[in-house]
Amino acid sequence: MNAAACYFVNGMESETSAIARGLHRRDPELLDRLIEQYQHRLLRYLLYLTSNRELAEDMFQETWIRVLERGHQYNPKYEFSTWLFSIARNLTVDYLRKKRPVSLDGLLDAEEGVSLDPPDLRPSALELVAQQEQRERISAALVGIAAEYREAIVLRFQEGLALEEIAAVTGAPLGTIKSRLYRGLNALLPRLKGAQA
Amino acid sequence: MTHDPHQQAQELIACGEHDVSDSQQAWLRIHLHGCASCRDYAQAAEQFVRSLRSVPVVADLALVRTTQMRVRLRSRELQQRRERMWLVWMSCILVGLSVAITTPFLWRGWGWLAERAHVSSPVWQVEFMIFWFAPAIAASLLFLARGIHLTDANGTSQG
Repeated sequence: MNAAACYFVNGMESETSAIARGLHRRDPELLDRLIEQYQHRLLRYLLYLTSNRELAEDMFQETWIRVLERGHQYNPKYEFSTWLFSIARNLTVDYLRKKRPVSLDGLLDAEEGVSLDPPDLRPSALELVAQQEQRERISAALVGIAAEYREAIVLRFQEGLALEEIAAVTGAPLGTIKSRLYRGLNALLPRLKGAQA
Repeated sequence: MTHDPHQQAQELIACGEHDVSDSQQAWLRIHLHGCASCRDYAQAAEQFVRSLRSVPVVADLALVRTTQMRVRLRSRELQQRRERMWLVWMSCILVGLSVAITTPFLWRGWGWLAERAHVSSPVWQVEFMIFWFAPAIAASLLFLARGIHLTDANGTSQG
């Protein structure tokens, strides 16, 4: 390992160790900072997982409560985001399983539509319309594919998680993650093409 | 791994370039150079990723503030519970010590009284056991029942 890589790994470890120590102490300042730091990424993941803004916001809050309660279980060997996403996922899956004992897709089909947040940046009316259309197109295409494919795609391409990290979050083997990405993209791209046409 | 080069190429594209080895990347580059359909697929995937990343999904401030407040309240609750548990444990330890120290003296005192009252040994010993242990057993059963009740309530609410 070269010096730069070594420095990077050590830096990451010291940061995750500091987070682990703070979580063990249930340090409220640290939790406030983490909530602010991961707010958009976590909500985005939950939105794509549930396709329901209200549920995603509930799960967002429950996830952080769980982080507080189970903070002592966080292993600083892993990225905090991986642990955070796996908590959010488990909570959501448990909730959906209890609410309706079918796959995630069952819930998604029942939803009237995806209500992703409107953008705050509004440089011009034209750009606003274009953004709105693009958002709706992507959301509709994502909602149309199986939940496990959508989850893998969002974690990989939006959150930028490595394949091993996605496997850790979802608890699925690496081969399954690769297959979900491939099948997910194959299901998604024709939908996007169709929507554009 | 599939033997179909097109499927193999698309699988590599789906994994993303950072999770593909150098040799696989080199193979993919060569394949894309000569295969228009896979090149289209790669371009469509790239376009999708760009679009996905450009979708602005943001958490609003109210949600963040509410979450922070809920986390702080829960943290305080947990802290108070921990303090209460510490008190319970300390009380248990003190009671245990007190019982260990005083029981032999009380046993002797009870025996002395029984001797004065001309009560036979088995009778006063049974009486002592009931007098001494019955309240503790009753209290333990009550605590146990309450503990089970609390566990059930937590399980139901968390579920």
